[in-house]
Amino acid sequence: MKLINLPLFFLSLLLGSGLAVSGDQNVKVETEIEILAEGLDHPWSLTFISDKEMLLTELSGNLRRVANGLLNPTPVAGVPEVLFAGQGGLSEILVDPNFADNGFIYLSFSAPDTDQPKLNRLNVIQARLEGNVLVDHKTLFQSDPPRRTAAHYGARLAFLADGTLLITSGDGFNYREQAQALDNHFGKIVRINTDGSIPEDNPFTTTPGALPGIWSYGHRNLQGLVIADDGTVYEHEHGPQGGDELNLVLPGKNYGWPAITYGVDYSGAMISPFTEHPGMEQPLKYWDPSIAPSGMTLYRGDMFPHWQGDLFISALVPGDVRRLKMQDNQVVGEEILFTEFGRIRNIISAPDGSLILVTDGKDAKLIRVSAKK
Amino acid sequence: MIKQIQAFLISLIIATFLVVTHTTATNLIWLHSINMPVDFQLVLATMATDLVDMNSRGAFPTIALIFVGLLIAFVSARIIALWSSIKAPYLYALAGGAALLAIVALMPMAFYNLDLIAGARTVAGRAYLVVAGLIAGYYFGSHIQKGDSNEAN
Repeated sequence: MKLINLPLFFLSLLLGSGLAVSGDQNVKVETEIEILAEGLDHPWSLTFISDKEMLLTELSGNLRRVANGLLNPTPVAGVPEVLFAGQGGLSEILVDPNFADNGFIYLSFSAPDTDQPKLNRLNVIQARLEGNVLVDHKTLFQSDPPRRTAAHYGARLAFLADGTLLITSGDGFNYREQAQALDNHFGKIVRINTDGSIPEDNPFTTTPGALPGIWSYGHRNLQGLVIADDGTVYEHEHGPQGGDELNLVLPGKNYGWPAITYGVDYSGAMISPFTEHPGMEQPLKYWDPSIAPSGMTLYRGDMFPHWQGDLFISALVPGDVRRLKMQDNQVVGEEILFTEFGRIRNIISAPDGSLILVTDGKDAKLIRVSAKK
Repeated sequence: MIKQIQAFLISLIIATFLVVTHTTATNLIWLHSINMPVDFQLVLATMATDLVDMNSRGAFPTIALIFVGLLIAFVSARIIALWSSIKAPYLYALAGGAALLAIVALMPMAFYNLDLIAGARTVAGRAYLVVAGLIAGYYFGSHIQKGDSNEAN
């Protein structure tokens, strides 16, 4: 792992100036690219804990700090052991809305099942960041039942305005049909309180046989989750070959996977001949061919006034960022940005209004996109 | 030789047809079980689509995968036949079954325990695919027997 250095910083400034031509329309947004860090090991999620400091997860199990654009070489201690295999590992990092007062953060990760170590589960914990150490760990959620595959965990977290926590739980790949059943966590969005209890107003608390934490179902591998200021929940998920989706999620709704889909199986087989069915929700948008959406942020900053209110989706295939112009909860435009970095694992908005990207893989980069001065 | 190639190609087509239609059936039976409107016409249309797409649109052409599996298995069976007294149809049936078993067992090892062939996700599904290999192998063994004096009988 390398620290940022000044030559690299100035070189990136020199080479990284760019021009993003907005698709809506004829608005040219000039950007500057700055490489903040290199050599990251499978980064997955990042979040700001103050105006100047970020936390970043690496799938391999490290929680890193980036302060004033400098990567701390010493990972945060006290992170639980994770199962780093396939798509599994240390995944999401989310800070408590009252982090400044209570120091709580939330992590999602895959880990072997306690009783059946060959199987594994998606876990969500709460812990307090004290200096460079996590303390007071508390397990809030474990997906049920455990799985034998190390894929399709979902693992995104977001807070609703009422303080409850949404957790995306993927279909585990081999268990896709379970996304239509309510007795398991495969292919679901789960809603819990921050003490791990289940909110009484969850939609299936009185449904016989249903797990009470379920908030919505019929999802595949949900890797993007943002809550708009008006409470609208946007979620995106990987489809199979084709059929990546952006959804507007409402409690109790069925998003159809795998009974309806715009994609086909990796074998080429038709997973379902149906793309719509009564009682199953349609996506706001789908991509065919797939873009492999990997992260999402809703831009609220001042640095790029023209982009306010837009959704930015990082994509692994072929590797770019999709800016979606939203109007009345509909996608009215799409622009492809930042194609020069390869597979992009995640994107967030910084407090100063810049965008922070992180690339995918073993030797990944942390990148800031700012308005050209 | 031509007869052997012809028998091999037909056994390959048999195995591929059985594997593909099993995948189609697996998906449609589940859809029917959750009350999706699956009718006979849809079954036929989906089957036809899968027969084309699973051999042209997927991450790997199913027929190519089975081709490699059967080729290795039948060559191995031919070598075993030099010493074995097992009748050719049964020997090649076992070889065909072993080929399909190897495909469904080894593929997940290469893909994080993921079963890329949906029909291979259950024990019953895997057993069916092995039977598909047995049938294809039996056909091959039966149709090379008469003209091939080197085969053990």
